[in-house]
Amino acid sequence: MTTYTKEQVSKLVEGRLDWETTMRMLSMPKDNERFALYVETLQKKVSWPDRIVLPLGPHLYIAQSAKTKQWVTKCDCGHEFGDYRENWKLNAVVYVRDTEEAMTEVYPKLMAPDTSWQVYREYYCPTCGTMHDVEAPTPWYPVIHDFEPDIGAFYEEWVGLPVPERAD
Amino acid sequence: MEVQTASRVQVMGIDAGGTMTDTFFVRGDGRFVVGKAQSNPADESLAIFNSSEDALAHWGRGVDEVYPELVTCVYSGTAMLNRVVQRKGLDVGLICNKGFEQVHSMGRAVQSYLGYALEDRIHLNTHRYDEPLVPLSRTRGVTERTDVQGEVVIPLREHEVRQATRELVEAGAQAIAICLLQSHKNESNEKRARDVCREELVKLGVDIPVFASVDYYPSRKESHRTNTTVLEAYAAEPSRQTLQKVSERFRKHGAKFDLRVMATHGGTISWKAKELARTIVSGPIGGVIGSRLLGEALGYENIACSDIGGTSFDMALITKGNFAIASDPDMARLVLSLPLVAMDSVGAGAGSFVRIDPYSGGIKLGPDSAGYRVGTCWPESGLDTVSVSDCHVVLGYLNPENFLGGAIKLDVERARQHIKAQIADPLGLSVEDAAAGVIELLDLQLRDYLRANISAKGYNPADFVCFSYGGAGPVHTYGYTEGAGFKDVIVPAWAAGFSAFGCACADFEYRYDKSVDIAVPQFAADDAKEAACQTIQGAWAELAAKVIDEFVINGFKPEDVILRPGFRMQYMGQLNDLEITSPIASAATAADWDQIVEAYENTYSRVYASSARSPELGFSVTGAIMRGLVMTQKPVLPEDPEMGETPPEEARLGTRPFYRNRKWVDAVLWKMESLKPGNRVAGPAIIESDATTFVVPDGFETRLDKHRLFHLREVK
Repeated sequence: MTTYTKEQVSKLVEGRLDWETTMRMLSMPKDNERFALYVETLQKKVSWPDRIVLPLGPHLYIAQSAKTKQWVTKCDCGHEFGDYRENWKLNAVVYVRDTEEAMTEVYPKLMAPDTSWQVYREYYCPTCGTMHDVEAPTPWYPVIHDFEPDIGAFYEEWVGLPVPERAD
Repeated sequence: MEVQTASRVQVMGIDAGGTMTDTFFVRGDGRFVVGKAQSNPADESLAIFNSSEDALAHWGRGVDEVYPELVTCVYSGTAMLNRVVQRKGLDVGLICNKGFEQVHSMGRAVQSYLGYALEDRIHLNTHRYDEPLVPLSRTRGVTERTDVQGEVVIPLREHEVRQATRELVEAGAQAIAICLLQSHKNESNEKRARDVCREELVKLGVDIPVFASVDYYPSRKESHRTNTTVLEAYAAEPSRQTLQKVSERFRKHGAKFDLRVMATHGGTISWKAKELARTIVSGPIGGVIGSRLLGEALGYENIACSDIGGTSFDMALITKGNFAIASDPDMARLVLSLPLVAMDSVGAGAGSFVRIDPYSGGIKLGPDSAGYRVGTCWPESGLDTVSVSDCHVVLGYLNPENFLGGAIKLDVERARQHIKAQIADPLGLSVEDAAAGVIELLDLQLRDYLRANISAKGYNPADFVCFSYGGAGPVHTYGYTEGAGFKDVIVPAWAAGFSAFGCACADFEYRYDKSVDIAVPQFAADDAKEAACQTIQGAWAELAAKVIDEFVINGFKPEDVILRPGFRMQYMGQLNDLEITSPIASAATAADWDQIVEAYENTYSRVYASSARSPELGFSVTGAIMRGLVMTQKPVLPEDPEMGETPPEEARLGTRPFYRNRKWVDAVLWKMESLKPGNRVAGPAIIESDATTFVVPDGFETRLDKHRLFHLREVK
């Protein structure tokens, strides 16, 4: 089994890992300790004391509140989007690109979708303005709830770690 | 004691690898020595000199005495390949068609996964495009267009070529490659661009080489053609300087021979050759050439060549005395248009890493390997993952005290601990059974691979003799040939130096290829057949002139050159063409065309089946080929008198515990050099020499023949 150092995993997170090692990581079965190392690296990058339970995106996490042990969806900057089982997008700032003019800001003219068929919905952190997600649905479609991770099964059955404490 | 009389040393083979430089000297009586020295990328000539001294010391002779005796010397090396892989070539400028500037950077999609193991090929996330050989900043497009029929539809805008040349020089280009669309169909625009570019360089007072694709590789498929032309400028020019240095050092020590280099088409060419890019890979080809020569001498027409090294298992088939040529192969993750001796490789070798797959719980070999670092049994390797070599050491296959002639000492206990922790304990097996399982698995994989490759091409292993060579080959020979049903299994006593030997066996041969498009229906009128012959003959004449030019550079007269025309042909609409040696020296008449067709159909029915012939589709000639060769000195096979079946007592070195089939036995150790022709050795036995170990387990027996070839057979 191949193992990696904390330094390698932190370079991976920063996108600075050399290709040879990255290729080996991609092509070999995943090392057992990777998730723990990965979360440890992420934990060092955030300024708040809450424990990261599961990363949801490059700047978005499910974290265990240090005070209450409740699990919340949380931004890098510390902004909280509410209970981890709720759709965090409902508490985000949204910008909808539903005009040709708005689309030409991100795509050359005539190379963007027809906004009567498809719109872009961009979700931002209300505190720091980080863009956490972009949806590309038909205009009338409800806000998409991306997924509800089975964190208990992931910890116990997949990575073999005890599930962090949770207060509801 | 062997009598070391004043037999002349005739042939030298050089294998300049990344870590070691091997030299191989053959005397007139067929005796040979192998030398090793640390490679020296800064001055390869020095490493070759040191390696030569090391080799010749076995005969108590020196370089200054032997170099003047040599009649031929063939070089093969990995420097050019490394230069490409590490992107350390010249700063080349590229002139292409306007609007196509990005094409070289984009490359072909297949280049993003070339060289990958199957599991990585099928997973998109591992795919990756390498840095292009020429960056966009040194690429310029010029306006012109030749259509697919070879008609010039937009003439070349010459002022754009001048402008591009000035800009490329300004951007620091050390060489300029020119590759325009369809130039293989009509070379006029590209040749004009080349001349204009050269004129402009003269005006600028800049002396850098210009490479036009039509002068080198006039073949269809632009990506292949561009890559190959760029490679010629990028990697081959620096190699030419290296070879010049090597050649100069030879001269200084009195050498009279002309240094030659092994090329991908299976011949050797001079270091002064115009097309040097085709020397990019040569090592494994040497073994195939050597096998063919041995086959000719021994009367074997069908040979399965197998070469097992530290990282891969390479195999090639020789059928009816010929090997197959691939016309657009890939090397160093680039698609190229070079003729290459067709070989199949699998990434499993003696140094492959061994791991337990966490999902299936099974043993998994490779795809990566320890390479020159051997395995965890070599404490200095810095490795902690078990390799196949570790299993060999633990089971007594290899002598830990005499690995590479004792150059490095192996630690059996260290290997045992690693196998126990990583393989044996997780599987609940003893260390011996775990290690034996690894070796059985490797043998099984190689045997299946070998067999599948033979039967997939429609052949029967019973018609083939299997040659086994390479540093690690003879350790595995019994394993991957057992039960395969080969007619004979042969291990040359010089297995480790066999590739170098093969290079020295290769003809001094140039080969030029050109794409042509000829389509003739089955029952065509005579004038259509004559027109086809005219096109072929035109291409042959053009290629023959190039071949003769190359030999003239080396001081040969045109009449010394033996020309062998050939062509690539297929049934119209089929996808794969076959390479045919032409039955006629020149083509003109309808009768000539009929002979061309007959030669093609005969080959087709031999390669596939006569019932699969489809003349009703008509015929396409896709390429013209011209090979030219001159006579050279080749190594002669050693030939010693047979001394009876019983090996001499001094050849016996003792015994070593050896584990196979769930039990330890005492294998008799023999010194390979001391065995005499005619001797028979029954397993369990291990025949050792500095460079290789030949394993003969129980149930097998080997006989050394008068040519110092071991024949291995199963005795039940």
